[in-house]
Order: sequence, then structure tokens, then C-alpha cells
Amino acid sequence: MEPRRDAGVPAAGVVLVALAAAALPVVTRDSYYLDVATTILMNLTLTMSFRLQVSTGQINMAHISFMGIGAYASALLVTRAGLSFWATLWIGALAAALLAVPIGSVALRVSGPYYFLITFAFSEVVRLIFNNFFEGLFGGPSGLVGIPKPGRLLGLAFDGKLELYGLMAVLCVGVVLALVRLDSSRFGLTASAVRQADLLAETLGVDVFRYKLTTFVLGSFVAGLAGVFFAHFRQVLHSSDFGLEPMVLLVVFTVIGGTGSVWGPVVGTILMTIAAELLRELHHYEILVFGAVLILTMLFAPEGLVALPSTARRLLRRLRGRATAPAGVGLAP
Amino acid sequence: MSIDLLVQALLNGFGLAMVYVLVALGLTLIFSILEIINFAHGEFYMLGGYVTYYGYALFGLNYFATLGLAILTVGGAGVVAERLIFHDLRGKALNAFIVSLGLLWVMQAGAQLAFGVLDKPVPSAFSGIVRGLGLVISIERLVVTLSAIVLIVALYLFLRLSRPGRAMRAVAQDADAAALQGVNIDAVSALGFGVGCALAGGAGGLLAPVFAVSPAMGALPVIKAFIIIIIGGMGSLPGAVLGGLILGGVEGLGALFMGSAAVNILGFLMVILVLLVRPRGLVGGA
Repeated sequence: MEPRRDAGVPAAGVVLVALAAAALPVVTRDSYYLDVATTILMNLTLTMSFRLQVSTGQINMAHISFMGIGAYASALLVTRAGLSFWATLWIGALAAALLAVPIGSVALRVSGPYYFLITFAFSEVVRLIFNNFFEGLFGGPSGLVGIPKPGRLLGLAFDGKLELYGLMAVLCVGVVLALVRLDSSRFGLTASAVRQADLLAETLGVDVFRYKLTTFVLGSFVAGLAGVFFAHFRQVLHSSDFGLEPMVLLVVFTVIGGTGSVWGPVVGTILMTIAAELLRELHHYEILVFGAVLILTMLFAPEGLVALPSTARRLLRRLRGRATAPAGVGLAP
Repeated sequence: MSIDLLVQALLNGFGLAMVYVLVALGLTLIFSILEIINFAHGEFYMLGGYVTYYGYALFGLNYFATLGLAILTVGGAGVVAERLIFHDLRGKALNAFIVSLGLLWVMQAGAQLAFGVLDKPVPSAFSGIVRGLGLVISIERLVVTLSAIVLIVALYLFLRLSRPGRAMRAVAQDADAAALQGVNIDAVSALGFGVGCALAGGAGGLLAPVFAVSPAMGALPVIKAFIIIIIGGMGSLPGAVLGGLILGGVEGLGALFMGSAAVNILGFLMVILVLLVRPRGLVGGA
């Protein structure tokens, strides 16, 4: 993977994202476009938190489950216990983070392929519980319905598309801001060191396990936050919303942009969410196209779209001086 | 509870488990040679199912001839997949895993477009039941289980005795040392991937008459296969057989006491437990 080179620009980037988010309602108030934009911001929150974990070398196949835990927790607390959305927004996210501590401690004891599989096993357990157990609580296979919209805060009703979009924009910009700052902090640099050579980092005194667990719990908190919003935005929850297909979609969004930089998921999520909307009518083609794009990206530009300029440069250099090209770096043969 | 019921439950569990062992053996063979996890392995099983549907149900070929055809076709598809996609990803677990997620979608969507989304029923090749010692077994299940065992033994003999089989074991043990001894790693990788997929294709062909054929049919067996190889130890062939027997026994007995969702959770809990206590699996080496 490439060393970071964008440590100086994050602030400008976040301002740009925030301005773009704020500008959208000025351009259009069409409810369809607001919906798509809200979905992009929600997905962006998820992919940014997923990248945080990928940046320490973990493909956490249970990331979507923590979104589900936040979603179900908030939906139940609002409909059963009568709590306000503004409280459950944080309680749901905290619930996801709290469950992430034992699950992460268990899963992170293995690495590589074993890690993909143990997190996948966890995600299936969570999905099966939502789908088949405590049917009176989780709604079983027919799902949890009748989840109310957020409700009033500061004189705003939060029941229209525009208010929901605004809420998601504030959450997303907050998360992006926090994660970008984290990325260029000592913590982010250490995370990057852990990804590139965790044994070496360990010998230099980095408590690798604690770093990985912290990113796992932090990522799960953000996923929970997105999950709570998802529950009250869609107002219906199904266990399949948190199954393998949306999880792979998350991988697609994150990986296509590139995981070496925080801007990878931004590019990937915006492009792919719009592509998903354009392909919505043709569901089979949608996953066909996404699968093919994922394969091609990993084979020919494994560092993602944002690294494409430097990947192309290196390819050109290799074409010019074929003899000196190192063998088997995973780029095009 | 009578002892008959317990034995019957175990037999039911073992019967299907032997077919899942075929899927698992393919997965573990590919892992041992290329060090990659192919999440799309179930889609090769699905291809085997469709070959059987077209060959046996539609064109009326002989059941066992169709099975052979499924094994060869899917094996060929596996070689193509290795050459085109997985070849450069040898040893890159993370990239290969992500690519296999993409392949899963491409193959599943491709099947939906090519074969339609609806389930396609395949008629049973054998009917009737055998009784004895208070047990009841359908002849179809018996043939399916015995065929699976024959294929497992065939794989064992191939890997033990044949030259390419020995080359595969050598590469699995130490690819660099094998290359130094003149083993053609490229050819062994492609062949190994092909043989692994062929086993999945055979399993798909065997279970096509038991369950219907559909584009999403690969999801369940590949999950069972993952559970099996983790319990037995990834990359270990005897481990896959042992893991299959354990999973079959647990699922067979579990079905007596709990619903199918709880039985599925039991499988995943075993995975988590094994990875924690003995991450290399029961048979896996250091």
C-alpha cells in the first residue's frame, strides 16, 4: 500500500464535503434526489468507519451487523420503551460499541483468512437471531415495522426529507471530520503501521491488539450510529438488511475507491451509490456490474480509484523498463 | 428417547454431511495450494446443479453420466477462473478474498440471467426406502451418500498415487521447495483450483435431485463447507472429513432437540470456539 500523501489537505477536503452537502438543498428539493443524497451520506458514514478497520488490515465481515444492532436497539427502545430518538441515537451506537468489545476481543485473536471467517460467523449468528429468535421482539422474518421518524428537536419537526437529509449531513460531516483527524493523528499513523507490518510495529512497542480492538469498537460505534438513522429513515427493518449482500456492497463501496486514503471511500461511495440508483431497475445487472467492477479493480488497481494516477504512472514506468519490473506485485501482468 | 431415534438422527446428519465434505475438500484443497479463500466456491456447486438439471432432467442423460459431466464441466470452469482471475493473487489472502466476493456476485447474477431466477426441480433418480434394524433410509439419500464417499476415496487415491496429485501435495507443503524440485507451480495451481471446483460441481450434481436447482443454491453448502474446514483445520484433507463427521453428528442430533435456525447457530458457535481454542483446527498442523 502507498504511504499517505494527503496529510495536508484533509481540512480543505472536509470543508468541501460539508459545502457540497449544504449546497444540495439549494440546487434541488426534489424528494427523490434528497433520498439518494441521504443514502449516499449514510453509506459514506458506514464506509468511512469500515475503512478505519481495513486500514489495520481487517476485513470485518460483521461490520454490517453492528449497524443492525444499533438499528434494532433504537427501534425497540423508541417503540417499546417510549424513549426519544435523540436519546436512542447515542444509546444505539453505544450498544453496538459495547457488544463490539467482547466480539472484537474474540475475533481479533485470529488474523488473515481466519479473521474474515470468524467475523462472517458472527454476522450470521446476529442475522439468524434477528430473523429466527425472539420473534415478539425482533419481528421475525416479516421484520420490524412502524418505526417512527426522529421527532421534534429545537423547534424542528424532523419528519420531512429535507430535515432528515440535514440530520444525516450533520452526522456524516461530524464522523468524517473525526475520522480524518484521527487518520492524520499519531493513532492513524500507528494504524497504518499496523496494516503495513504488524509484527514490526509490535517489536517497536505498539500494542497491536489494543490498536485493532480500538478501531474495531470505534468503527462499530459509527456503524451503530448509521444503523439508528437507517431504522428511523426507512421505518422498517429486516434481518436481510444486515446480511451478506449489503455487507459485500459495503466492501465494494470501500475498496473501489481505495483504502489507502480517507478519500477513497468518499469517491467510491458517491460513484457506486449513484451507479446503484441508475441500475436499480435491473437488479441482476446491478450485482453483475458491481461484482465485475470489484474483480477488475482488485486485479488492475488494487489501491483503488483515488490511487489510479500513481498506479498508472507506475504501470507506465514498468512498461518502459520491463526488465527491472519486480515480479508478482499484483498489478496487471 | 429410544436408541433407534438417535442412530437415525445421526445417519440423517452424516448422509448429507458427506456431500458437504466434498464441497469442503475442494475449498480446503484450493486453500492449501493457493493460500486463498474462495468465497465463490458455492457458485461452482451451483454450476454443477445446473449441468445436472440440463443433462439429466431436460435431456434425459444417464444420472451417473450427468454427474461425470458436471464434474468435468465445473472443473474446467475452475481452471478458467484460476487462469483469468486468481492466478496473480496467490498468497494474497485479503485481495483474493475480496475478488472472490466479486466473483460470487458475477456468477450468481450470471446464473439469474442465463437460467432464470425460479427454482428448477430435478426428479429423483431413485425411489423407495430400505428398512433394517429399526432404521429407515431413502435409497436416493443412500446413493447420494455412497457416491460422495466414492468421490472422496477417488480424490484420496489421486492425491496419493498420481503424479499431479503428488505435485499438489508438494506445493501445499512448501511451494518454493516444490518449484526447486521442478514442479510447475502455474500448472499445479490451475489444476488444483480445477479439481477443487470439480468436487463442488460433483456435490452440486449429487444434491440437485434432493433440493431444487436455483441461482442462490450455493449459499448454504459453502457455509457448511467453511464450518467443516475450520473445525477440521484449513488446508487439511483428513481434517475436512473429520469436520464433516462432527458437523453432521451435531446437526443430526441437534435437529432432534431444536429448530433449524438454532442448529445453524450451533455450527457457527463451533467455528468461533474452535478458532479460539485451536485456530489451526483439530487436525491442522502448527
